[in-house]
Amino acid sequence: MESIIIVFVLLGIMFVLLGSGVWIGLSLLAVAAIGIDVIAGRPAGDAIATTIWSSSSSWMLTSLPMFVWMGDILFYSRLSEDLFKGLAPLMGRLPGGLLHTNVLGCTLFGSVSGSSVATLTTVGKMTIPELRKRGYPEHLVVSSLAGPATLGLMIPPSIIMIVYGVLTNESIAAINIAGIIPGLLLAGMFSGYFAIKAMTMKGFNPQQEPVSSLREKLAGARRLIPVILLLTLVIGSMFAGFATATEAAAAGVLGALVLAWWQGTLTRENFFAGLMSATRTSAMIALILAAAGSLSLAMGFLGLPALLAQWVADFHLSPFGLLMGLLVLYTILGHFLDGISCVALTISIVEPMVRQAGIDMVWFGIFIVLVVEMAQITPPVGFNLTMLQSMTGHNIFKIGWWSVPMHVIMVVMVFIMIAFPGLATWLPQQMIPVVH
Amino acid sequence: MSIATAGPSLRVSRSGAVLPAIRSGLDFIYLACGYLAAACMIAILLLTVSQMVFRALAINIRGLTDYAGYCMAAAAFLAFAHTLNNGSHIRIEVFTGLLGRYRVYAEGWALASSTAITGWFAYYSCTMVYWSYKLGDVSTGLDATPLWLPQVPMAIGSVLFALALADHFLQLLFTGKHGIVPSTEIL
Repeated sequence: MESIIIVFVLLGIMFVLLGSGVWIGLSLLAVAAIGIDVIAGRPAGDAIATTIWSSSSSWMLTSLPMFVWMGDILFYSRLSEDLFKGLAPLMGRLPGGLLHTNVLGCTLFGSVSGSSVATLTTVGKMTIPELRKRGYPEHLVVSSLAGPATLGLMIPPSIIMIVYGVLTNESIAAINIAGIIPGLLLAGMFSGYFAIKAMTMKGFNPQQEPVSSLREKLAGARRLIPVILLLTLVIGSMFAGFATATEAAAAGVLGALVLAWWQGTLTRENFFAGLMSATRTSAMIALILAAAGSLSLAMGFLGLPALLAQWVADFHLSPFGLLMGLLVLYTILGHFLDGISCVALTISIVEPMVRQAGIDMVWFGIFIVLVVEMAQITPPVGFNLTMLQSMTGHNIFKIGWWSVPMHVIMVVMVFIMIAFPGLATWLPQQMIPVVH
Repeated sequence: MSIATAGPSLRVSRSGAVLPAIRSGLDFIYLACGYLAAACMIAILLLTVSQMVFRALAINIRGLTDYAGYCMAAAAFLAFAHTLNNGSHIRIEVFTGLLGRYRVYAEGWALASSTAITGWFAYYSCTMVYWSYKLGDVSTGLDATPLWLPQVPMAIGSVLFALALADHFLQLLFTGKHGIVPSTEIL
């Protein structure tokens, strides 16, 4: 009984702080301090300082700034233009036409950038004007960005998966590799939806792309080769055990620099802008991670995770029931918080429950990413929706309504993942471990 | 960085040149530490790449990964204040956005409580460095570095972070506007 009160008191403090606009990392830090100092009655300061020092200076974490930086270098390059011009001749004649450039463009760019909003802006700024010019139905233009942009978090390298790996002490490389098959499957489902929609919808009559010759197709494909090479280098070196996640990320930074230099976009301004932007993004995530670390320390002091895990066990909740509960929880949280904060906020409580239920943690990483991303396109408040609103000028509820099919596809994907867990767990098992 | 140096309270200040000097001094420090953090990012890259090269050459150099970890902590903490000024630290603005002209009070509360939390943390970061130095703590990794050394950037960064928050709070109090650029960067 007493611990239930503690849970509600701490939750109450947290929601007041978060809701009143206190920075997310600092809200978590405050709750951790109050939990240890006031409720558990132990001195909190020294314990939190040492915990934050050891988690912030861990070698595991260094893959984070490197992957962020790699994405930022490419953000300032000509990549989005290349993706569109390369994909258009290849996709133009398929049913659904250039809508597939959105899906595939997001898949490829999402992979290099590891963040869904960056994916949305980079791909969207190029494709929205082009698709509008050709008379594609507006709701399909919008939804073909809203859904596929979330692939940025599924397909490696992904920032949120690094965060998850650091917080749960699971292999960052394995979790990233686990995202490949579900991510590609989801991309395929999005593409399939647009193809069917284009064939069945009345009044779908955008301007047809001219038939492109084999030569044009090859010229287009050539624009895509550098990105695909870079991705193969990064993902392949992790998979084949040539490199740890950090080393793969560092190689990715070098590769991205070479790519930008080769394109002629590696000016001093671009290099500097990319570096500073990556420094800020990493600092922002590092603050949340540091706070999440101290929060789980506090939870340990209070003995809450074990208690809640026991509580769930007493309920004889099946793993499926637990997953459905978490699905609801994350959908609600995802309305107000971005994916990384959702994971940071909940993982110290959720991890023991999930482990207790015998759920594979790598699989659960993919599940959580999928669910949290789904929440980002749920109205009224989703990061991706807000972004699309400012890019297209449509009302956020309209965008949310247009994105409902994407949402449905993602829900279906959640159940496919539950029915076939091997989709996520098989590929990491084929990895070759790094030999030092 | 846009800072309201032309605020009325600053203009009536008798000490004339002192306040603007503090203002530009602080801004310089925030930015300089941001650049130092960026330099740490480059250091992480170089350390990681050299580790790969050494491994390929079968040369065993101790502790490179530990140094990369120290650079990670330094890159994060030194950049906190700069990240704040740029509006890149995230928070929920859905509810405070609904407050209209009362929003300024919510901003004041958020800045004041954040200053308190970071000030508290900065104090303990500094005592941690002090005790590491006093007790001669040495890294448990292969590098055997005296721990206080890489911990100094963490202490500096957290003090600066608290200072930046206090700075914005005081600006809000005296000029009605804090200097945090609205968030444009997104994750």
